[in-house]
Amino acid sequence: MAKLRHLAIACKDPDAMAEFYMKAFDFTVARRGDGPLAYGVHLTDGTIDLALLRFKSDQIGKGMDYTGLHHFGILVEDMDAAAQKAESLGGKHYMDQSDPDRTGGFEVKMYGPEGILFDVAEHPWTGTEPLPVPAKQAAE
Amino acid sequence: MPKLRHIAIAAEDPEAMAEFYKKAFDFVEVGRPNGHLADGVFLSDGTLNMAILKFKTDQLGKGMDYRGIHHFGVMVEDVEEFTKKLDALGAEHYIDQAQDGHQAGYFEKKFFGPERILFDIAEHGWAGAEPLPTPVKAAAE
Repeated sequence: MAKLRHLAIACKDPDAMAEFYMKAFDFTVARRGDGPLAYGVHLTDGTIDLALLRFKSDQIGKGMDYTGLHHFGILVEDMDAAAQKAESLGGKHYMDQSDPDRTGGFEVKMYGPEGILFDVAEHPWTGTEPLPVPAKQAAE
Repeated sequence: MPKLRHIAIAAEDPEAMAEFYKKAFDFVEVGRPNGHLADGVFLSDGTLNMAILKFKTDQLGKGMDYRGIHHFGVMVEDVEEFTKKLDALGAEHYIDQAQDGHQAGYFEKKFFGPERILFDIAEHGWAGAEPLPTPVKAAAE
């Protein structure tokens, strides 16, 4: 089964917000990044990537001043198959990761029902739990 | 360590949205909340509760027509202890679990963190969410 492994928050001050969640819940820094899409801090609880991001473009059509929950990410076994399936169900492809060698973040971004943005990846977000090993494979 | 175990989405049509995630990613329906704050569908990926909700009040101050990811929830061992900690860190307490009966899968306390990001904390967990890992010491006993 696919797994929710990423949650992104749009904020003005990712560093200050990261301090809060690190102190409040003992989340740890998985990485810091300043890329073409956003500057931010990625925290982890050991399972999920909590990305606190200052976006550089308006990906969700709520304006550049928007602060709040932004998108989530789903880890899948086969990204192409999952993206195709989502599209066949009415999901709309938004963008691909521009650097095909980069893993640990989104690989495809899509809009689901009501324009909700989500990422799909088949490589775990940095600092997050991989997909469970299927029972059949684990027994081998 | 506390764990992120809940994501809530504000939707116009929770049922249609839930169908999409069930079909696309094999998420499983684990409940149909119907409370005074929201109606909707609870899905689970086996680890997190994904709540797709039609809210009845404007909790975020973004208007009743807000559609998008709404809040998240963190499972903690002790809600009272974390309430004190969050207060000390400047989080603003918003509301507690409704007094009209505990309904499995609901929040226990809601807070606004920095930049008024809304989140829940709970020690009983949301429907379909994985429990907190057993601490190493307790597991060895």
